[in-house]
Amino acid sequence: MLAASHLTRHFGPRVAVDDLSFELVPGEIFALLGPNGAGKTTTLRMLAGLIEPTSGSVRLNGDATSRRASSRLRGQIGFLTEAPGLWERLDVRRNLLVYARLHGLANPARAVDEALDAFGLLDRANDVAGQLSKGLKQRVALARTLLHKPRVVLLDEPTSGLDPESAREVRELVVRLRDKQHTIVLSTHNLDEVERIATRVGILRTRLVALDTPTALRARVYGKRLRVTLGQAAAAFAGTLTAAGFHDVRADGASLSVALDTEHASVPLIVRRLVESGADVYSVVAEEPRLEDVYLRLLEGAGA
Amino acid sequence: MNRILALLDKDLADLRQNPALFVPAVLTGFVSILLPFVVAIIIPAAVGERLSDSSDFAIAVESYQNQPSMRGLDPEGAIQAWIFQRFLVLLILSPIAGAMSVAAYSVIGEKQMRTLEPLLATPLTTFELLAAKVLSALVPALFLTTGCFAVYGLGVLLFAQPGVARTLFAPSSLATMFLLGPLATLASLQMAVCVSSRVNDARSAQQIGALVILPMAGLLVVQLTGSFLLTPKTFASICLALVVVNAGLMRLGIRLFDREAILTRWK
Repeated sequence: MLAASHLTRHFGPRVAVDDLSFELVPGEIFALLGPNGAGKTTTLRMLAGLIEPTSGSVRLNGDATSRRASSRLRGQIGFLTEAPGLWERLDVRRNLLVYARLHGLANPARAVDEALDAFGLLDRANDVAGQLSKGLKQRVALARTLLHKPRVVLLDEPTSGLDPESAREVRELVVRLRDKQHTIVLSTHNLDEVERIATRVGILRTRLVALDTPTALRARVYGKRLRVTLGQAAAAFAGTLTAAGFHDVRADGASLSVALDTEHASVPLIVRRLVESGADVYSVVAEEPRLEDVYLRLLEGAGA
Repeated sequence: MNRILALLDKDLADLRQNPALFVPAVLTGFVSILLPFVVAIIIPAAVGERLSDSSDFAIAVESYQNQPSMRGLDPEGAIQAWIFQRFLVLLILSPIAGAMSVAAYSVIGEKQMRTLEPLLATPLTTFELLAAKVLSALVPALFLTTGCFAVYGLGVLLFAQPGVARTLFAPSSLATMFLLGPLATLASLQMAVCVSSRVNDARSAQQIGALVILPMAGLLVVQLTGSFLLTPKTFASICLALVVVNAGLMRLGIRLFDREAILTRWK
C-alpha cells in the first residue's frame, strides 16, 4: 500500500536520508527509530508529500506522492506532526471544523461531531485549544489527523512529553487503528512504546540500519538464548553445558544464559544435563533482550 | 474555493479573538479622518479666517469651476470640498497600515504557532493558502475603510459648508474609495504575504510590505500641491495597473512560497 523506494533527501551538502526503501501493508505499525537528526521527520515529510525526495519515490496504492501530485494524495494520508499545531485562540470544534472543510468532507459538522465522540472530546468541544492540557491537545491533534479517515497514518513522536496515562491512551488508539487495517508509520524515541505496539521496526541513521520485526531484530543481534535459573551458583554448571556442546554459556549469580541453535531441540537437553549434574532448576525461559539494547547494538554496528 | 473560505473563516475567527491587532488601524483611521477637518474647519475657525481669503487655495477654486458638483458651492465650500476629496487618499492608507500587520504575520504566524505543517499536509494548495491569507487581511481592511468613509461623510455633513458632503459621493470619490483603495490595499497585502512567506520575522515583512504605501502617499502629496490631478483617464490607468500588479503578485507569491524551506529551515 505505502512503498518507499530508494528514498534520498539532501539539504545542500548534507544528506538527511539516504537510499531508504520499504513496503508497508494495511494493519501494520511500522516504527521508525533513530537518534536525533537521523532523518525520521524528513522521511515522514517525504511520505506525506510535504517535501520532495532528491531521488527515489514514495508510492501510495501505486500512485507517486509528490508535491505536484499532492492535493488528492495528501487527502489519503493523515499526518500527525511533532507539535499538535492547534490554533490556540479557537475552540476545539472550530479547530476540527476547519480541517474537515479543508479535506472537503461532505458533511463537515457531522464528521467533527463523530470525531469528538470517538476521541472522548464532546465535553471539551467548546473549550479554547490553548487552555487544554498537553495530553488533550495531542488527542485533538489525533482527532484532526484522522478526521478524513485516511488509510495511511503518519505519526511523528505522538507520545512525546505526554504523561503515562495520556501516552497509553494514544498507544491504545494506534493499536485500534492497526486493528482497523490502517497502515501506520510511527516515528519515536520511545523504545518501550515500540516494543509494545510495533509490528516492524526500521532503525534509521540517515541510512536504514535494520528493518525487521522486534523479535527478528533481537535474534539477529543476540541470537536465541535461554535463561535458566538454578537453586545454586550457576558458574559451577556452566562447564556441564559447554561439555554438552553449547558454545556460548554465561553464568550470572544463579542464572545461566545459553545461546541456542535450535530452541526446541536444545531445551530438554539443557534441563536434563543440568539436573543430571545435580542442579536444582527453578525456571527456564526464552531470554528477551530489551529492544533498547538491540537498538544500541545495531546503531553501534552502524558506526554510532 | 471552499478551502479558501474554510481558512478565511478560521483567520477571521482568530482575528475576532484578538481585536487589539486592529487598534493601530483604527487609530490611524481616526487621525486620517481628523486631519482634513483640522485643515478645513478647525484651524480657520480658531484663527477667525476663511480659507477663501487665502490665495493659496486659488487652485482649489479653479479646479472645481468645471465640476458640476461644485456649482452650488460658495468659494469656501469649494475649497473645503477640494480638501476633503484630496484627503480621501489618506483614508485609503489607514486600513492598509492596519491590515499590514495582519498580512505580515499571516504565514510567519502559522509557522511560529507550529500550525503551518498540519495545514500543508492537507489538500490545500499554495494558491488557496495565499489567497486566504490575503483575504483575511483585506476583508477587515475593507470594513474599516467603509466605516472610516461613513464617519468621514457624516463629519463633513455635520461640520462643513452645506453641499460639500454631496461632492464626497461623486462617482470619482466613490471610485477612489471603493476601487482604487481596495486595489491598492490588495497589492500591499499581497506583497506583505509574499514577504511573510520569505522571511522568518514578521517585522521584516511589515516593513517591506509598507513600501507599497509610498506611491499612494506620493499621490496624496502631488495632489495637494496641485502639480497632479487625478483625472478619470489617469484614475483608470492606475486602477488597470493595479489589477495587473495584483495578478503578478499572486503569481509571484506562489512562486516564492517555498514550503520546503519554510518547513525545514525556519525555526
